[in-house]
Amino acid sequence: MSEKVYNLEEAATLSPSGEKYIVLQIGPSHPGSGHMRLVVWLDGDIIVKVDPDIGFVHRTSEWLSERREWIKAVPIVERIMLPDTIHANLSYVLAVEKLLGIEPPPRAQYLRSLAAEINRITSHLYGIGIFGIFLGSSTVYMWAFGDREPFLDLMEMLTGARITYSYIIPGGVRWDMPNGFKERAETVLQYMERRLKDYEDIWVKNPVVQARTINVGVMKREDAISLGVVGPNLRASGVYYDTRKHKPYAAYKDLDFEVPVMKNGDAYDRLLIRVEEIKQSIRMIRQILKDIPEGKIIADNIYNQLNPVMKKVYEEKRRVMFPAYMIHLRPPPGEATSMVEAGRGEIFFYIKSTGDKYPYRFRWVTPSFRNLPFFTHVAVGHRLADLPAIYGSIDYFPPEADR
Amino acid sequence: MSEVRKPRDPVTGHIKALAKGFKYLIEPNRMTLDYPAETMKLPPNYRGFFTVDDVKCIGCSMCEMVCPPEAITMVPRIVGSGGKTLPAESAPQDQKAAKRTKRPVVNWGKCIFCYFCVDVCPVDAFRPTGVHDVAFYTDREYRPTYEEYLNPPEDPYKSSKKVVSKADKKRGVSYEPAP
Ligand code: SF4
Ligand code: SF4
Repeated sequence: MSEKVYNLEEAATLSPSGEKYIVLQIGPSHPGSGHMRLVVWLDGDIIVKVDPDIGFVHRTSEWLSERREWIKAVPIVERIMLPDTIHANLSYVLAVEKLLGIEPPPRAQYLRSLAAEINRITSHLYGIGIFGIFLGSSTVYMWAFGDREPFLDLMEMLTGARITYSYIIPGGVRWDMPNGFKERAETVLQYMERRLKDYEDIWVKNPVVQARTINVGVMKREDAISLGVVGPNLRASGVYYDTRKHKPYAAYKDLDFEVPVMKNGDAYDRLLIRVEEIKQSIRMIRQILKDIPEGKIIADNIYNQLNPVMKKVYEEKRRVMFPAYMIHLRPPPGEATSMVEAGRGEIFFYIKSTGDKYPYRFRWVTPSFRNLPFFTHVAVGHRLADLPAIYGSIDYFPPEADR
Repeated sequence: MSEVRKPRDPVTGHIKALAKGFKYLIEPNRMTLDYPAETMKLPPNYRGFFTVDDVKCIGCSMCEMVCPPEAITMVPRIVGSGGKTLPAESAPQDQKAAKRTKRPVVNWGKCIFCYFCVDVCPVDAFRPTGVHDVAFYTDREYRPTYEEYLNPPEDPYKSSKKVVSKADKKRGVSYEPAP
């Protein structure tokens, strides 16, 4: 921290052509995990103001979804949050299910949570890897990206794809757990538990990392609440809030897990919280594999519409085919919202139906967008060299913010 | 959570980090596949290229309707002997005798392999091939004709060593020869 701490009011009055300061453009060509630009005003090397310029990877997901049948939005929302596709898929489907009044069977609920937790681990590993390369450690970057692989293999076994799963549909999920999945998952979890100890030595407790992150980019508890940041970044500032606990969806009601909360709100806490959440996800996956109930993976009113060929496929391969109803979903007029705790924080969905074949209004708020205040409020007063530590620690993913 | 946060004293910290790095230098945890000398045999449910069973398909256009990126086009065909279809242009002069139908063709440049079409087909006519690693050299190859679509892209690495991945407690992922 510098001697002189610039306050936000002062920063707001600066003009882009301000003579006193150097204006530095970071980006827009991929400064981190996607295209975005940070316009940074510097006094010497002290950051006076940061203006995140977002929107370079805007993909019109809302516009596209409002002009297509309801089911077609599933692959669209996934493409916005590529490291974390299940949560985008799940949050949309939860909102549609509320409109349709369908309740998925318990086994489908467990499978949703299973996929979500595996995806959370890969998403956190992605975040940890990017943070590593920001601080100049290509080792942890390679490690984290490599360690996503066993989990992606698990998802491939479950869904047939590595990233864009399109796994969750209104009424349930598309594939059941294949044979040998449980054993494989257990092996992967044991591997990951051992690797977390390696991460601790080489990265998390590395004195270089501690020196670069402790007391850097502190987001105070009150600020975190008033600025509305979400997810692990919020919990790192000492706020006990997790949608999985407070508004449970899928199978989280039945799962026993803790919500890790830190109190300092600095970059180091934001790193630690991700490691702790991986441990909790491992714990949840174990419970799911142990307790998963038998039964259907699709709601009865959808199952009953399957034709005999489809029912045969379902019995033989435990694969849900789509009845024609799926193409012509017409939820009754009304509005629905849903909230899901994704890897980077809470996704909020709002959809409105007029009983038409397309959604009338399709609106969603993604966690990275809500974590933007970190740039404008937290980076000010730090040295420029601390900016990568702040950017990396919040696990910001530009396409997710731009939607 | 304060115990996880406690700073490690720098000397032990550096030694531990270096020791761990050295351990993996001697005994690397490599999970890289020697591609393309070795390629993966994909699991049976893998969502790769797929084709349609000409005889089974009933030409209902459901797959075209469900396709999110609108990658499927229905081409006009006529039903020939044994249920196989012929191009519509080959219809006999007596137009009424020809039983007209339609068949789907996938534009590989648009397809996102969501398999909605495979799942919506009322007669389960699509056949996944389990092939994934294909490069197209021209724009034209992305857009097959129906006859080309019936023979979807083949695995370009047929002669390479086929392996399957397996979870490994020590290395995360290891590979063993495909059965
Ligand atoms: S897999 Fe998906 S994108 Fe490809 S043709 Fe089928 S429905 Fe369309
Ligand atoms: S849904 Fe199946 S039967 Fe109908 S046109 Fe497509 S492939 Fe043919």
